[in-house]
Amino acid sequence: MMGKKALILDGGLADGALTRGPGEIAADVLRRAGWQVGALLLREIDIAPCLGCFDCWVKTPGVCVIDDAGRDVARRMIRSDLLVYLTPLTFGGYSSELKKALDRSIPNISPLFRLVRGEVHHVKRYARSPRVVGIGVCASGPTDPEEEELFETLVHRNAINLHAPTDGATVICAAEDDEAQRGRIEQAIVGVIGA
Amino acid sequence: MLLLAGSPKRLEESDSARIGRALVDRLERRGWTSEAVRLHAAVRTEEDLRELLDAIDRASVVLFAAPLYVDSLPAPAIRAIEAIAAHRRTGSVSRSPRFVTLIRCGFVEPSQNDTCQRILQRFAERAGFEWLAGVSLGGGGRIPKRVREALDVLAEALDLEILVPDEVERLTRKPIMPSWLYVVGGNFMWRRWAARNGVKDRLRDRPYALDS
Repeated sequence: MMGKKALILDGGLADGALTRGPGEIAADVLRRAGWQVGALLLREIDIAPCLGCFDCWVKTPGVCVIDDAGRDVARRMIRSDLLVYLTPLTFGGYSSELKKALDRSIPNISPLFRLVRGEVHHVKRYARSPRVVGIGVCASGPTDPEEEELFETLVHRNAINLHAPTDGATVICAAEDDEAQRGRIEQAIVGVIGA
Repeated sequence: MLLLAGSPKRLEESDSARIGRALVDRLERRGWTSEAVRLHAAVRTEEDLRELLDAIDRASVVLFAAPLYVDSLPAPAIRAIEAIAAHRRTGSVSRSPRFVTLIRCGFVEPSQNDTCQRILQRFAERAGFEWLAGVSLGGGGRIPKRVREALDVLAEALDLEILVPDEVERLTRKPIMPSWLYVVGGNFMWRRWAARNGVKDRLRDRPYALDS
């Protein structure tokens, strides 16, 4: 396990107060499990929106044509063994800050299609893909079971397209105490990386 | 009607906006007036955002038309719904415009938009819109005849202010071709596109592999 790399993509908005604590807990859980942990505060990184041009697939395969930090983030993502999608729960989905990085990561998969359980998805570009854990943080409790399920579904749908070998997700409430948050985050991470 | 276009492309170049525009055209023929806002441009400055929020306050129906990006909306479209919800939570808005979504994905199965549609439905509920319908479309070529028929039915329902008939979903829910055929045709299209750019043999490049 030693030497495995995790990358926390912190999609916190504004002052980041909602995701800071859960991010620290996730990093601590991973370090205790022997992982190297990197973290990106996405709101502090200037990443232009994806243009939807597909040039990263059919013109410069594997590299976005926009030469900005979005390329570096995509490179770090595919070179990680685990990605932690940390985000304020946004109607059951991701924040705009997290999504700006995810949109720019599509060079990491191939444009070519294949069937996955009868559904069309993209082919892998790289031999190995990172595992994925989603941590959604809701500002006020209690957590909404429907949004929780929606978030888990979204992370799992992403994991299919990313070819993640394992994935999992949890939703925590900012009003919960640290111990409760740690319990949920640890359970989600251990569920993905193994005990 | 207010068309909110979530694609980064210009309105005339975006498939989702073009299909949204086809619905708007049907309503204009019934005497409606319309406005259109590109969300990618609308979230660039506070002033642009203010204009977007004002346009929503004027609308009786909002049509949210966007492509599916990574199982959800493109980031600037999410930025827009974050701002719209925050604005409408201030309590200064009392009207509840009707809300229709049109999401188009690059896969053949319209069902791949389901997660995104659910997110938008949660947004609509939280931001004080009246959710009417979510139209999901798969990828592949021109607007099929049955999607055009669905737009006719949807336009009539909006105009008459009646419930959106199940027929809209029946007409749009089925993929336009079998998934296996879409894979074959799609892969042919990607290879041809790459060949035009002189990179047909580089489609599987791995520029970020650790040994590169």
